[in-house]
Amino acid sequence: MACPGLRIAANFVPVQSPACAPIVFLQSLEEPSLRFITIPVLVLDPQYRLQVMDQDLEILDWRAKRQPQVGEDVLCLAVVSIRESGSTANLMAPLVVNLQNHKAVQAVVPQSNYSHQEALFAAEAPPC
Amino acid sequence: MMTRRQGETILIGDEIEIVISHIGRSRVKVGIRAPRQLLVIAQEVKLVGDENRAAALAPSVAALTAFVAQFQPSPHTFPLLPEELFVGQDAGTKTERISK
Repeated sequence: MACPGLRIAANFVPVQSPACAPIVFLQSLEEPSLRFITIPVLVLDPQYRLQVMDQDLEILDWRAKRQPQVGEDVLCLAVVSIRESGSTANLMAPLVVNLQNHKAVQAVVPQSNYSHQEALFAAEAPPC
Repeated sequence: MMTRRQGETILIGDEIEIVISHIGRSRVKVGIRAPRQLLVIAQEVKLVGDENRAAALAPSVAALTAFVAQFQPSPHTFPLLPEELFVGQDAGTKTERISK
C-alpha cells in the first residue's frame, strides 16, 4: 500500500486487541517504528459513504462496475492523528482493504464531503 | 484569471508550461512541464501526505491511553474485524498480512 507523504510503506499487518477496540493498529512490516492508529470509518460515521476513484479501484483489483461496500467487500479504516490539541481522523482519504485479496490503497477523494482532519469526540461530548 | 481552450498552453516564467490537454464534462486534463526539482502534486495528495506523516509520529503512552479511554465506557460495543481476515491468532491479538 502506497501512502502519500511516506517513502517506504508497502506491507502492513492489522493488529487488534479487545482492550483497545475499536482501534486497529496497522503495523508496517518493513519499518518497525511505523504504525498507524486507525478506526473503522463506520464507527466514526455510520452513514459514511465510500467513494473510490477508478485508479484506486484498479490497485485494489476491484473489477465490479459498482463501488465496493464497506464491511462486505472492503475494510475501510480512517487514519487517526493523536494531537495535544485534539485527535482527528482522516475521512478524506481512508485506507481501503479489499477483503477478497487483501490489497489495500489509501483512497484519496478529491471532492470529499469529509476533511482530512475530522475532529474526534467533539461532536460526541454530551451537551452540558 | 485566464481563459484557455483545449490544447492551449500557459507559461509560468521560462520553465513551467501548463497545457490544457482535454476538457471533459466535469474534469479537465492538464499537462504540466516543470523542472524536475519542483514537486507537482494535487493539493489533496499534499494534505493527505502531511496528515500521514503527522499520524505516523508515535504518540506518548499517556496520550494513547487517554485516546483509547475515550471509547470506554461506551454505549456501543464495537465489533472486531471479521475472523476470516486473520491467520494465526494468539491471546487477544490478531494479525494478518495485507500485501500491496
